[in-house]
Amino acid sequence: MSSAYDPSQPARRPGGKPGQQPSYRVLVHKKFKRHYDQLVDKVGIQQAQQFWDHLANNPGEPSAVASITILRGKAGKPWAENWSRVHHYELTSKARADYAYCDVFTTGPGDEPHRVVSILTINYGSH
Amino acid sequence: MTSTIFQASDLANQKRVDFLSQARAGRARLRDKDGTSLVMLPESHLLWLETMAQWSSVHLRLEGVIRRATLPTVSELGDLAWLRAFDIDDLTEFVEELHEALVVSNADQNPSRLEECVNAWRVTARQLEDPLRRSVLLGAPSISDFDDAPRPDASLPDDEEP
Repeated sequence: MSSAYDPSQPARRPGGKPGQQPSYRVLVHKKFKRHYDQLVDKVGIQQAQQFWDHLANNPGEPSAVASITILRGKAGKPWAENWSRVHHYELTSKARADYAYCDVFTTGPGDEPHRVVSILTINYGSH
Repeated sequence: MTSTIFQASDLANQKRVDFLSQARAGRARLRDKDGTSLVMLPESHLLWLETMAQWSSVHLRLEGVIRRATLPTVSELGDLAWLRAFDIDDLTEFVEELHEALVVSNADQNPSRLEECVNAWRVTARQLEDPLRRSVLLGAPSISDFDDAPRPDASLPDDEEP
C-alpha cells in the first residue's frame, strides 16, 4: 500500500484505538447515559477518548491533560466497601464528570473480582 | 531579618539596590517624609497574608455557626452562600478541614493547601446544585443503575479504522 496522500481516504480517527487492553470496565449511570452519548459532540473526539482512556487505565492517578478533584463531604465518600472516593474530572471548562472506581468488584459469591469504574454524573455548561 | 530603615530619598540613589534586595528577601522598611512607615514585600507573601486573614475570619465565623448545630440561613452565610449545598455534618467536616489547611498554609507560608481545600469544597457545592446530580451523588447507587460506557469513537465504519 502506498503511503502517499490519498484524498479519497478519510483522516485517521483522532486517538485511534486504545494502545493497550483497558484495565477497568467503564460504566455510566443510566441517568447520565444521554449525556455520555453527547460527549464527542460536546468536547471533541480527542478529549472524549482521553477521558475514557484515563478511566479505563488509571482512574486513581492524576491526569496530564485534565484537572481532577476529589469531592468533599457526603458527595465524595465511597458508596460501598472497596469503592474509591468520588473523583471530579474536568474535561474542558464546560464539561466535567464525576466517577468512582473499584479494584475488586464482584457481582456475587464465587464471582472473579474485577476492576470497574463508574461514571456517576456528567454535566455541560460553564459554572 | 534586617533592621535597616530606608529613607524615601534612598530610592533615588544607590541604596535602592539594597532596598529592593531586602524586599525580595522578605521585607524592606522605608520611612516616608511625613514619618509614615512603609513596607515592601514580595507580592506572593502579601497574597499569602491576605488569604490567611480572609479564611481565618471565615473559620471563626463558621465555628460559631457549627456550635449552634442548626443550618445557617443564606443571609447568615453571606459571601459563603455557596455552602448552602451542605448539611450540618458536611459543614462540620468543612470547618475541620479548613482548620487543618490554615495550620499547614501558615506553617508553609504558602496558601496553596488552603486554596486547594476551598476549591474542592466549592467544586462539590457546584455539583450538588443540580437536583439530578445531587440525587446520584448523595444516593446509594447499585450496579444495576449503570450501563456499559463504550470508548467514544468518531463513528467511522470498521473497514476505515487505522
